[in-house]
Amino acid sequence: MAAMEVDPVNNHLQRKQSHYVSLDENFMIQKETYRGQQYSQIYFARLDLMRTLIYSLLPNWKPYLPVCTVLDLEEGKQCIIVGTLYKDMKLKPSILDEYSKERSATPLVKPHNFTHPDDYLILEDESGRVKLRGTVLSPSVYVTGNVVALHGKATGAGDYLVEDILEAGLPPQLELPYKSEEDKYVVFVSGLNVGSNSSNPLQFQLFVDHISGHLGDKKVQSIAAQIVQVVIAGNSVEVPRGLLNGQNLASKDQSRLSEPIKEVDILLTQIAAGIPLDIMPGPNDPANFSLPQQPLHRCLFPGSATYNTFRSCTNPHSFDLDNVRFLGTSGQNIDDLEKYSEANDKLAFLERTLRWRHLAPPAPNTLGCYPFTDRDPFLMESCPHVYFIGNQDRYETRLIKGSEGQVVRLICIPRFSETGTAVVLFLVIVVELEKSRMPCSQFWDPVQLMTT
Amino acid sequence: MASRGGDIQGFYRQRKKGITKPANAKAKTSSSKKPSSPNRSAATFGSDVTQPPALISHASLDLQDDYDANEEFLRQFDMNMAYGPCLGMTRMARWERASRRGLNPPKDVECLLRSAKVRPECLWDGRV
Repeated sequence: MAAMEVDPVNNHLQRKQSHYVSLDENFMIQKETYRGQQYSQIYFARLDLMRTLIYSLLPNWKPYLPVCTVLDLEEGKQCIIVGTLYKDMKLKPSILDEYSKERSATPLVKPHNFTHPDDYLILEDESGRVKLRGTVLSPSVYVTGNVVALHGKATGAGDYLVEDILEAGLPPQLELPYKSEEDKYVVFVSGLNVGSNSSNPLQFQLFVDHISGHLGDKKVQSIAAQIVQVVIAGNSVEVPRGLLNGQNLASKDQSRLSEPIKEVDILLTQIAAGIPLDIMPGPNDPANFSLPQQPLHRCLFPGSATYNTFRSCTNPHSFDLDNVRFLGTSGQNIDDLEKYSEANDKLAFLERTLRWRHLAPPAPNTLGCYPFTDRDPFLMESCPHVYFIGNQDRYETRLIKGSEGQVVRLICIPRFSETGTAVVLFLVIVVELEKSRMPCSQFWDPVQLMTT
Repeated sequence: MASRGGDIQGFYRQRKKGITKPANAKAKTSSSKKPSSPNRSAATFGSDVTQPPALISHASLDLQDDYDANEEFLRQFDMNMAYGPCLGMTRMARWERASRRGLNPPKDVECLLRSAKVRPECLWDGRV
């Protein structure tokens, strides 16, 4: 890993390099075959895995209380139950509404958020389910699919009065490595939406020129030489869906359909020629619909796929860069949480998914998901150091701390086609006396840089 | 001897041997566990329209499908909720998943699945 140096003979700048390890194996669907299973299998896998986890946390929480199953609840006896939450939502769209005989006055345009004050939570395990009451548990915070432990007692009415709740908490985090000071940058961008009306090719070309070092003076170029990784977090193309109306495509329309992806390939070739590039599929990309989305096929990128720096990745995507763990999605999981629960800001949703130790609790209830039988790939085994979400409205970031010293940098990446903004993460690991510094992130607007 | 809307043969008196009427169950060939009850014939006047002939084997109701004790044991394994839902997986896959998760499924199930000629699919496969 060469330090940044200016070759005096040729005046060339060397780009920094770093060690990359992909951790996407968990999200790849390779050996799974569909045998007609239903989603009960993935729910069982999730409950089983998380229940073992929560049982290990119970001795530190309330060891004096007995643990029992839902069916064994006795009235008035304080106990702990562990199970999956189900949120009964009044406004949740149901496929059966289409078949209901009486068409009520529900509007066709669905609201953005389906929460309602009358929503209530139910806890379910293999033996049964019980309705949850009490003010401790706020239905607007939780979604169907969370596995939690509850302390309370069964009431005479057959409900369970909740007094306290235990979530799985942040997973264990590997220590950040000690290293000498070497400034490196990781660039995140998402929502390029090439092919849509809102995307401006000039902006993206400016961005590409900037990070590949074709812009600016020596100082700016030397900063660009410190970029070691580019991650494109979804929605790179917007396929003109108006063409896909069931008719046969004329050859002119066929070429129009593939134009956006060709344009993206040309731009990505410029990036891949100089910097390691990870591209993730998003909700609008030509990849499968249900999570985990599989990598975009190499044949879509004939130009850039020839470079070994080009990596097509799954969504969610996880990788190690110089032993700093990154985890992120293209935004579907957080957008779904936003529809079915409430929080003050987007970062609160990210924090919740970390505290629940699960990337996408609403899968498969409201978020499309593959029906795994023996595992739940969205369970977080280890805590990332950087957790990013693509395709958001604006850039936001926060540093959160866990109960065992975990520190995570949360990043919301805005849509590039609308905001012209990419996010640059400054990876600095400085040796200090006590502990290494955590990654921080900077706001870097390439368009602004050019106007000043 | 008049039969109620029954088979035409009841219409004619036939005294051949070998016609099994529920009332005259021949115990010597039956391997049934329960003796034939005369009450049945009283209600049906000797006709067996309520009990189609196919299900009468050896003059008893054939309520047992073609499954044996092994299958019964495996069905109990299917129904046990501790190992998760059974639909959509082969029994072996479900057993392996349970043993991987440390749920200690009974070893006999594994032996049965490997050796004997039992259905690899679960109880509800193809029926749900």
